[in-house]
Amino acid sequence: MRERFISGYNDFVIPFMAGMIFILVYLAVALLRLIFQLPARDRKKFFLSLLNPKILLKNLRDIVCDCLLHVKIFKRNPLLGYMHASIAFGWFMLIVIGHIEVFLFTPHRAKLLYYPIFFRFFVAETNETLGGGFFFFLMDFFLLVVLSGIALAMFKRIRSRALGMRRTTKLSFMDHIGLYALWSIFPLRLLAEGFTAGISGGSFLTASINKILPAFLSDPANILPTWWAYSIALGVFFFVMPFTRYMHIPTEVMMILFRNAGLKITHPRKGVAKTHVYTCASCGLCIDACPMGAEKINIKDATVYLTRQIKRGNEKRIKEISEKCLMCGKCTAICPVGLDATGLREAQRSLIDYPLKLDFASLPEQSPQKATGKVLYFAGCMTQLTPKIHRAMAGILDASGLKWEFMDKDGGICCGRPMMITGRKDEAMKLVEKNTSLIKSSGATVLLLSCPICYKIFKEEYRLSGIRVVHHTEFIDELIANGAVSVYYDPETTFVYHDPCELGRGCGVYEEPRRVVSAAGTLVKAGKERKESICCGGSLGSITLPFERRKAITEHSLHNLVVNDPDTIVTACPLCSSTFARYSDRPVQDIAEIINERLIKS
Amino acid sequence: MNKNIVIIGGGPAGMEAASQLISLGYSPIIIEKTSSLGGHLARWDRLFPDREPAKDLLNELLVKLNGANVFYDSDIVSLNRLNDSYNVILSNGISILAQAVLIATGFNLFDARKKEEYGYGIYDKVITNADLESYFKDGFDERFNESEIKRIGFVHCVGSRDEKACNRQCSKVCCITALKQAIELKEKFPDSIIYCFYMDLRLFGRKYEDIYLSAQKDFGIRFIRGRVSEASEDIDGNVVIKAEDTLTGKPLKVTLDLLVLMAGMSANPAANKLAGMLSLAIDSDGFLQSYDNVAHIHRSRKKGIFYAGTCTGPKTLPETLSEARSAALDIHNYLKEQDSHGD
Repeated sequence: MRERFISGYNDFVIPFMAGMIFILVYLAVALLRLIFQLPARDRKKFFLSLLNPKILLKNLRDIVCDCLLHVKIFKRNPLLGYMHASIAFGWFMLIVIGHIEVFLFTPHRAKLLYYPIFFRFFVAETNETLGGGFFFFLMDFFLLVVLSGIALAMFKRIRSRALGMRRTTKLSFMDHIGLYALWSIFPLRLLAEGFTAGISGGSFLTASINKILPAFLSDPANILPTWWAYSIALGVFFFVMPFTRYMHIPTEVMMILFRNAGLKITHPRKGVAKTHVYTCASCGLCIDACPMGAEKINIKDATVYLTRQIKRGNEKRIKEISEKCLMCGKCTAICPVGLDATGLREAQRSLIDYPLKLDFASLPEQSPQKATGKVLYFAGCMTQLTPKIHRAMAGILDASGLKWEFMDKDGGICCGRPMMITGRKDEAMKLVEKNTSLIKSSGATVLLLSCPICYKIFKEEYRLSGIRVVHHTEFIDELIANGAVSVYYDPETTFVYHDPCELGRGCGVYEEPRRVVSAAGTLVKAGKERKESICCGGSLGSITLPFERRKAITEHSLHNLVVNDPDTIVTACPLCSSTFARYSDRPVQDIAEIINERLIKS
Repeated sequence: MNKNIVIIGGGPAGMEAASQLISLGYSPIIIEKTSSLGGHLARWDRLFPDREPAKDLLNELLVKLNGANVFYDSDIVSLNRLNDSYNVILSNGISILAQAVLIATGFNLFDARKKEEYGYGIYDKVITNADLESYFKDGFDERFNESEIKRIGFVHCVGSRDEKACNRQCSKVCCITALKQAIELKEKFPDSIIYCFYMDLRLFGRKYEDIYLSAQKDFGIRFIRGRVSEASEDIDGNVVIKAEDTLTGKPLKVTLDLLVLMAGMSANPAANKLAGMLSLAIDSDGFLQSYDNVAHIHRSRKKGIFYAGTCTGPKTLPETLSEARSAALDIHNYLKEQDSHGD
């Protein structure tokens, strides 16, 4: 391998270099700003996380799996996963191997940013290039990989359904420019390297192109223009990158680092929120996932459009999209980059100035219930509205022989989750404080909840040291397992279990309720379940979605539940059960009810 | 006259229309899904505004109906059009070729269990307006002890004007029914305190306003504007309700010995089934859609299909009866016209 030019330079590298310098400076400034936007405590936490070898290892694993290999998309749809991985990983390998080539063959050029990119223009093949042949093969191989990904991407634009996407995002103008620049980079590289392959040498791809091309374009004067075109395509891509969805490529790394450092969205726009907004690749998987998509009118309210509007600073739309969401968390669950869509919306909601001013001065002075060493049952307001559920719970608790007290028998104080979900954290914390002192002074050892909405905030925000917080699905599961209650089992009765958003995606409780239902009868599968379960539509997460717009969501969710024709729909959330009961063609019961009805009294 | 007229539903509307058609010289056929005539009227004790016994009206309707053909315990299996007539097949295998069909399927009493927060079917001392009428009629209800009744609450609009109960419409008759029943209970339990929780009082009919004033002045019934949010049971088995007095803006918590839910009218699914067979239009409230809503409420948009009573929305009894008469006359005119075309 020898160099063709002593200068090691040609004018065509200018567009690439300009773009490269621009994007590097831009990213450096953005990174500094991002870190300065973090609250001091978070910043410290972030730097400390970089010293922790366990977190570092996790960072490395997440970056390789998420940014390069796109494992999550692979799991969803192999073809779509291949499309992303081939472009990301292939391109990454082209850069890495390009650098290795420079270090091996022309180490004195290692300082030049453009050299690894345009390596084949600057070198000529010699006889002893066996090592070069190996790298040339690798380079051609990864170029082919990337090209296959680009071809799939083009195909996806025409037929997204073939790659598992029913609906896909409408791209903005800048996104289109970025997209076409990206699409043209690799074919141009193939063409340019193909032209030069006669001089620099090439492998199966570039050398073959070189053999074919002279038949059409024998004029070597065309060599330079193709290298110019390749360089311009790269330059354009780098210049438009900050203004397109491709900003997700560098931002995702920061989001992973922040996430693994344990940082949460605190400010609606700055710091962590910013990484989440720019990590969104506008892939549009959330559009199909969103339960509101049951009505076409809501398609533009998917998370992908929230991040886009935040980038644009369109406050009106940000408010609309943030308020309308049911906060079911399904988009977060399926998001290939793990964007915290509910956290982001909660933060946007904190900016909204609701005319209602809340004053908790009138909170009733409740004397704490004495429940020393007992189970304290907190039904919560939703369960108070569905008395069948707390009656069933009382039946099960009595049958178990455990000592228990009903904390909000005569009404209680709200758990605070509705305030939290509307972005009113300070108000929520006042309720949390009040309840905490009531529960702590009761002397109870277990706090039992029936409502997943309560359960989530009790788990996440309450500091109830020494008191176990448990949802009734988990509790009943334990009672059955340790023989405290026995249940009549009838294999002829079929149930389907609906995962409530707050219990499943919200708290990760999936197995216990299924075990409980299976103790009473045969559990059949729903169309989509567990983390892909579809919100019942009754969620109190949405502030603006009117009642009549929720019917389609509920019907869609019900339709998904009855695909295997169960006798009864079982759920574990009072709000889900009353919402379903409205339109269901078969009985809807809480898990506590089906167990209480089948208790074997000893 | 050899014209067949099928009347679907043997409630007040169907019975009145049938007797009118009989007096016009026809022999209508009533298809009744239960084993007796009278519909909801047969379960009622006394009728507003004058508290006349429901039995009297029912007897009058039955007497006028003397000699009509009634198929009891029968459902419509299929109903389809053949040129100028309709082929009606019943669940007992009989099929009738009818020149005109009158749909008088009435309403369904809203199932108060759907408003689970009020605890109907869960707490013994929560009953509905229909249960209370049965109690007046039979003189007892095993769920509660008469001697304990001191505090009584009425909840208006249970399953009416309530989108979450899938019923947006006003049921029209419950406000005045609640007043009537409250007065009746007060007469029965003079020492009791009675509350009515309402969102609006819609007392549109003749004499209704007098009853409202009398309920306050003469019977001391307390009216509280505000919806009841939930009911629960205390240790003694009494019902504790939470509500808001929206006029004073204060939350309320009241312990009651009896809670009466004013269940409203919702569309009868049987009517929807018929509408499916005949491709009749259903309105946004779930009731059948009339030809128009002023002059031809008793007419459908299909030739030979007529409506009477609450299948086209909540109505009072006098409205139902006059509509049944209009429908009968309209059927008569329709058949006469068919005849003249036939000649």
